[in-house]
Amino acid sequence: MNSLAFGILAFMLGTYVLLDGFDLGVAAIAPLIGRNGAEREAAMRAIGPFWNGNEVWLIAAAGALFALFPKAYASAFSGFYLPFVIVLWLLMFRGIAMELRGHFATRIWRDFWDVAFTGSSALLVLLFGVALGNLIRGVPLDANGYFTGSFGFLLNPYALLVGATAVAALALHGATFAAMRIAGAPGERAATLVPKLAAALLVGFLATSAATAAIRWHDLPAAWTAVLPVVALIALGLAVRYALLRRAGAAFAASSVFLAAVFVSAAATLYPMLLPGFGGAKGIGIFDAAPSTAALVSAVAAVAVGVGIVCLYGTLILLPQFRENVTVDLNP
Amino acid sequence: MDIAVADRLQFAFTIMFHYLFPIGTMGLAPFIAWFTWRGAKGDAEAAAAAAFWTKIFAINFAAGVVTGMPMEFQFGTNWAAFSAKTGGVIGQPLAMEGAFAFFLESIFLGILLYGKARVSPRAHAFAASMVCLGSWLSGFFIVATDAWMQHPVGYAVAAGGRIEMASLWAVLTSPFALWQYAHVMTAALLAGGFIVAGIGAYYLLSDRDHAIGRRFVRAGTIVGAICSVLVVFPTGDRNGNDIATYQPVKLAAMEGLFKSTKGAPLAIVGMPDTRDRSLLDPIFVPDLLSFLAYGNARANVDGLTAYATELWPPVEVTYYAYHVMVGLGTIFGAISGLALLLLLWGGRLYRARWLLWLVLLAMPFPYIANEAGWTVTEVGRQPWIVYGLMRTADGASPNVSGGETIFTLIGFAGMYFLLGVLFLYLTLREIGNGPAVAHE
Repeated sequence: MNSLAFGILAFMLGTYVLLDGFDLGVAAIAPLIGRNGAEREAAMRAIGPFWNGNEVWLIAAAGALFALFPKAYASAFSGFYLPFVIVLWLLMFRGIAMELRGHFATRIWRDFWDVAFTGSSALLVLLFGVALGNLIRGVPLDANGYFTGSFGFLLNPYALLVGATAVAALALHGATFAAMRIAGAPGERAATLVPKLAAALLVGFLATSAATAAIRWHDLPAAWTAVLPVVALIALGLAVRYALLRRAGAAFAASSVFLAAVFVSAAATLYPMLLPGFGGAKGIGIFDAAPSTAALVSAVAAVAVGVGIVCLYGTLILLPQFRENVTVDLNP
Repeated sequence: MDIAVADRLQFAFTIMFHYLFPIGTMGLAPFIAWFTWRGAKGDAEAAAAAAFWTKIFAINFAAGVVTGMPMEFQFGTNWAAFSAKTGGVIGQPLAMEGAFAFFLESIFLGILLYGKARVSPRAHAFAASMVCLGSWLSGFFIVATDAWMQHPVGYAVAAGGRIEMASLWAVLTSPFALWQYAHVMTAALLAGGFIVAGIGAYYLLSDRDHAIGRRFVRAGTIVGAICSVLVVFPTGDRNGNDIATYQPVKLAAMEGLFKSTKGAPLAIVGMPDTRDRSLLDPIFVPDLLSFLAYGNARANVDGLTAYATELWPPVEVTYYAYHVMVGLGTIFGAISGLALLLLLWGGRLYRARWLLWLVLLAMPFPYIANEAGWTVTEVGRQPWIVYGLMRTADGASPNVSGGETIFTLIGFAGMYFLLGVLFLYLTLREIGNGPAVAHE
């Protein structure tokens, strides 16, 4: 039951990465694919119908973590206090930027909110990557499972490396999405961006993998997970190939497979811990953090039903909208 | 600064700002469902009214989602000890709120906003009802969580002091929770009625959108008048009885009653002085408090001095918040009762500009009354975070400093200022645009 709860949580977070990943990525590369206000606006409209629904997955995952593993929730959220609050602010600010941008048609107004939108999105991805890096590296915990380090501790070289790799990965993901959704020059530029981003990502991916292996060599995950990096590399290659062939939908799918493989690999590395200790500290695992079995069963049932409803909604309502392309409005 | 005080300040600020928006969504959703159903039956004016209020609703909903995220995060960031100890209980209704209510509301709001051309009128009206159900269900899970913190039931204490869920059913169906929910929802609906009537009055006073303006005034006045009765009786009354039974110190603080009294009087006005332990310049109604709390005019009501001062909630805040709520509730009853009377008297309300002005200006006050009511509930619960089980001071994150919390509080204040300006701009623009009735 505890492993099932871990699986549900990983599924929710993974879905969040795949979905919000593309809209954060599009935002991060918006100045690269949009040379003027109208083109950048096309980038915004491309993610317009999705980003809010995508973020719901993050909120839902946080709620599920609270219900399924209250102790890990308490420890992680208080331990990552400032980073998490900053993530909140960035999420809010990003939404406000998207909303405010459209209300006045002056150039200076739009330029400001374009930069705010891109900056807050890129910083969000960096912070998510830093958080993931620290999860894998472990954090210093006291006997009660509370974080004892500082903000500075979280900004270690390994975590920053993971953060930078995350930016490259989601920028690539966003580029394949933009190539698929936006017609005309911005979509074309996004497609030509894919190989460059993939090269940067390859460097980051290899460096991160090597560093992770060095950090976690004493505690390697199950043998079958060795296949995941191979899958990831093949998917990355395919994303480049399809982008060069201008088969944008296939490139987006390949990029999604890459992200999923990397995410599953990270989750498998972590399992059965939720918050590993650093430097010999005892971490918080799926059996330390869960409530009694009866409570966990009902929490799992509630969360699973909710996830099922949302998946249904996603396939029925959101998926058809993918087919409609966004064009650059020449007279905004 | 003491960490628990800083955490409470931040929670109070963020929750009070957040709650402004659920008042709007829970209060307007039934109106939208009603107007959408009427519209589906071919009433063009009702369809325009539904479209108008749906836009206002959507702005409230978005602001509610954005300001709701910090609430969900704060249990972990600022109240880690509380979450670790009681998460087995409160994590569940909160997760159910997200899994069932919030998703229901957002899915069907999407259909309500964008699906009118794609789905049949009946399906559209069904979506409106589901949005209403979602927002009210959302309120239910949140109130059930809070009610558990007021009067914990259905739990067991496990080894190591952790509190576990023994019966989710008991938590969700506790009479304390159900009466609190009924009170909260009638108060939100009262606010909704005053908003709808107030906007209608605005259109009539501005000499525009007459037909639909009258319709708003009529619908809002009827709902507002009914709810201003229901908030007092039975819901407020039953809430008061529960507080008298389970939280007598809170009752004493609400009433500013320092000494235990047989045949306790009800203070209409007065200023509590905790140093002298007396109520300054009071106006009393003799015996009424005993009667209201216990149904017996001679019953003994415990005063604050019957309890150690460390068990007192902040007396002044609890007292004033309660009196603001009750005082405003009385005024709401007077305004909406009078408006209803003139409405039923051959529609004289539509021409009584002085009363329309009152209805318009009354619009913000149900917000204040709602917030004041929650202040009584939450501040009056102190010094407990879970009544009788865990103290607020023990619930704060042990590894977060007061300085950090003050920093984030300032940040939230800045962010919410921006958000508030945006919210007002968008809402006022929609009100200015007004409902567009399709002319045939």
